[in-house]
Amino acid sequence: MSTVQHSVSKTSVSKVAILALAIIFAAGLFVVGFDQGHIFSVVYGEQAFVDLTIHELTHDMRHAAGFPCH
Amino acid sequence: MKSALFIAIVIISGALAGAIHGTVNFAIVEPYLDQAIGIENENLFASGEEEDNPQFWADYEEYRVWQKSGQVLAGMILGIAMGSLFGIVYALSRNSLPGKNDVTKAVILAGIMWLTIYLIPFLKYPANPPTVGDAETVVLRSILYISFIAISGFGALGFYKLSQKLQSDKKYLGILGYVIFIVIAFFVMPENPDEVTAPMNLVNEFRLMSVLGVTSFWISVGFILGLFWNKFDDTNLSKNNS
Repeated sequence: MSTVQHSVSKTSVSKVAILALAIIFAAGLFVVGFDQGHIFSVVYGEQAFVDLTIHELTHDMRHAAGFPCH
Repeated sequence: MKSALFIAIVIISGALAGAIHGTVNFAIVEPYLDQAIGIENENLFASGEEEDNPQFWADYEEYRVWQKSGQVLAGMILGIAMGSLFGIVYALSRNSLPGKNDVTKAVILAGIMWLTIYLIPFLKYPANPPTVGDAETVVLRSILYISFIAISGFGALGFYKLSQKLQSDKKYLGILGYVIFIVIAFFVMPENPDEVTAPMNLVNEFRLMSVLGVTSFWISVGFILGLFWNKFDDTNLSKNNS
């Protein structure tokens, strides 16, 4: 009786790793694509929406990558 | 593959591809941004909102240096973000992708994602340089853009899943279904509400450079993650050691 071995290549990455990368994806996308002072407002309050520090830092990439900017 | 190693190669490949994207933008997109901001300044002077004086130009230089200095850094942050999505999709779809090794598989997936979550949404809502866009509509435009990316991305995923249930000689119906679906979405989704007031040759050249920049990211991230996966994946390591 011959034994046939099937070699199956499995991609085995944990759900925790997938979840961690999903969070990194959402956070990074928000920083570059959509922040209008929201992140720094946690620390600086309303002034962050005037200063737009992250918005200005990501301004050129935001335009170049196709995100609406202002 | 161990979780920590998987996360590390995904983040590093995204950061490297993002740095390439930022550097390419620095070379080919920045001149168009400067031109567009120049027009924006002229409009401010003409409307009386700003005065053409040394103080204005000192402030302008200061914030333009800050904006330009963020190009590569923002590229790396965006690269890590999009690279993370790419890594997730690659890990979940690797066994279904065509190609003999991980570089080929990853580059093919990068091409599919470039088309479905970048180029097709771009055709509906193309990039605009500064001076185009009303600040009052930025939230609406952001919602429309991200919605179309999600519609196209999940649509592609849905029709791929559907095609898996079809016989091999009818799998093309999955692609056909996606094409019909996205054409309908293209016409149903509202237009960008803002009028383009800048010279169209500037806007079109900016858009072309923008596409080249983003394309450099997708080629790079596919190639780099594929190389890392080839090198570090357990199944490849055991094959190489046997």
